[in-house]
Amino acid sequence: MTQQQEKLSAFMDGEVEDDKIIDAIKQDEELQAKWQRYHVIRSTMRKEASVAPEMDLTASIAAALDNEPAIVAPKTSRWRSIPVLGNVIPFAAQSGQFAVAASVALAVILGVQHLNQPAPSEPFTTAPTAGPQGGLAPVSLEQTRTLPRNDMNEVLAKKRKINALIADHEQQVKLKQVQIDEEEKVSEEPDRP
Amino acid sequence: MRCNQSVFFFLLTLSFVTPFSSNAQSNLQPTNQESDDSASPTTSVEWLKRLQSLITSANYQVSFVQTTVGKETVPYLWRHAVLDDGTKVEQLNLQNGPGRELIRVDSIVSVFEPDTQPYSIRSRFINGPIPSLLLHNPETLLQSYEFVLVGRARVAGRPAQQIRVVSRDNTRFGYQLWLDEESGMLLKLNMLDLQGGVLEQIQVSAFTITETPSVYFSRINQSSLPDPITMPSTQSRAHGWEVNYLPVGMSEVKRDTRRLALTGQVVEYKMFSDGLVDVSVYVQPAEEAIGGDIALRNEVSTFLTLKAGKAQVTILGEIPLQTAKAIATSISSVSKNND
Repeated sequence: MTQQQEKLSAFMDGEVEDDKIIDAIKQDEELQAKWQRYHVIRSTMRKEASVAPEMDLTASIAAALDNEPAIVAPKTSRWRSIPVLGNVIPFAAQSGQFAVAASVALAVILGVQHLNQPAPSEPFTTAPTAGPQGGLAPVSLEQTRTLPRNDMNEVLAKKRKINALIADHEQQVKLKQVQIDEEEKVSEEPDRP
Repeated sequence: MRCNQSVFFFLLTLSFVTPFSSNAQSNLQPTNQESDDSASPTTSVEWLKRLQSLITSANYQVSFVQTTVGKETVPYLWRHAVLDDGTKVEQLNLQNGPGRELIRVDSIVSVFEPDTQPYSIRSRFINGPIPSLLLHNPETLLQSYEFVLVGRARVAGRPAQQIRVVSRDNTRFGYQLWLDEESGMLLKLNMLDLQGGVLEQIQVSAFTITETPSVYFSRINQSSLPDPITMPSTQSRAHGWEVNYLPVGMSEVKRDTRRLALTGQVVEYKMFSDGLVDVSVYVQPAEEAIGGDIALRNEVSTFLTLKAGKAQVTILGEIPLQTAKAIATSISSVSKNND
């Protein structure tokens, strides 16, 4: 066996002149496989391989084709062959899909509204509200329910505070030049009434 | 290469005795001789002076786009003219969406925005995406920034001179600008972070310089522009804190105590500026503020808030985070009784 291998290798390198090895390869499947592998390896090493080593698909494809049942192309349905009806049916199907999508969207909107309702998106109070400011905490049945949302409110409040600062900074930058100019205006005489 | 030759030729003809290599760094020394407008500028400062004289005295129309990281590109149209009676008029129009139009007649800027009553403010410049001091008064930036002439480049299909703008203590973002060789017009402006990544870019796509003012300005009825609103100068109590560290060239331009428009919180406020960037410093009681340490990036601005004892310090501005942190941690209270 190893002798055969060596011979095969030598034959591929063109060092064996006798024809016995060719006959041996013809008869021995294992040697045939080796023959192929050696060639793949050689061409890979020479960087001319365009196939992966296990790429001999011909046999498997041939086998698969043998097993494949014959398929007769189906005739198009007679309804569809009539132009008008053929167009109507997919349209109907489409509108059904659309209806489903629309109802989903509606549900989403309802859901959002429902979620948003308890959290008061109240605008900022710039002045302290006048009213009873006693030590009585307002009693509410909902207190336990609102607890999990406290964290979200905190995050929102934080975001609002950050946004307030960013908006203020941007406004101050916008108005900076105005103030500098106004201060200079005091010393200069105005060119426009 | 060609640039060096022409500069060399220019130097020879005027029999300058400046060393040849000083071309790249000579912006540091002030230009002694009055630069002739017809002569080609040789230093970055001369180029900026040329830009300034063009911006303030020529009739031009410029189309440019502004691109900011994480934002859509915004196109602008910018016109300027000197009318027959010497009045300087300028227009800046945001070209996408409902738009925004600013019209300046001498030192009054009228603002037309969607969903807002038009109003006018007193300002010598239109506060647009291009830093107005860079255009109108670049020499004031010299104490904070170094202007380095880099060389020739091609921008918007035209030969241009590239100038690098670097803060002297490397605490602020840098800029690169390209000026048209023929006219001196600004063609491109990049804002770079400390690693050299582009944060914001202004790219001119087309510009024309004309002899006569654009017909657009003849259609403006100056008497129909809104009257300027006067800003009440707010006199406020002294702050109990002081900023001890500032980047080179930055100085205080404003301080007051007021309420934030969105939340009504009372803040003590100082603004610092070096002409190119403005930094806001807010100090407020920690219990009604964010109450923690947060650092985030809003477009090109840095937002840093730190809780220091009972006070919350917030720094906002187009500066690197480490600079914001250095400013924030340098704040100390002046009088013990406050806060």
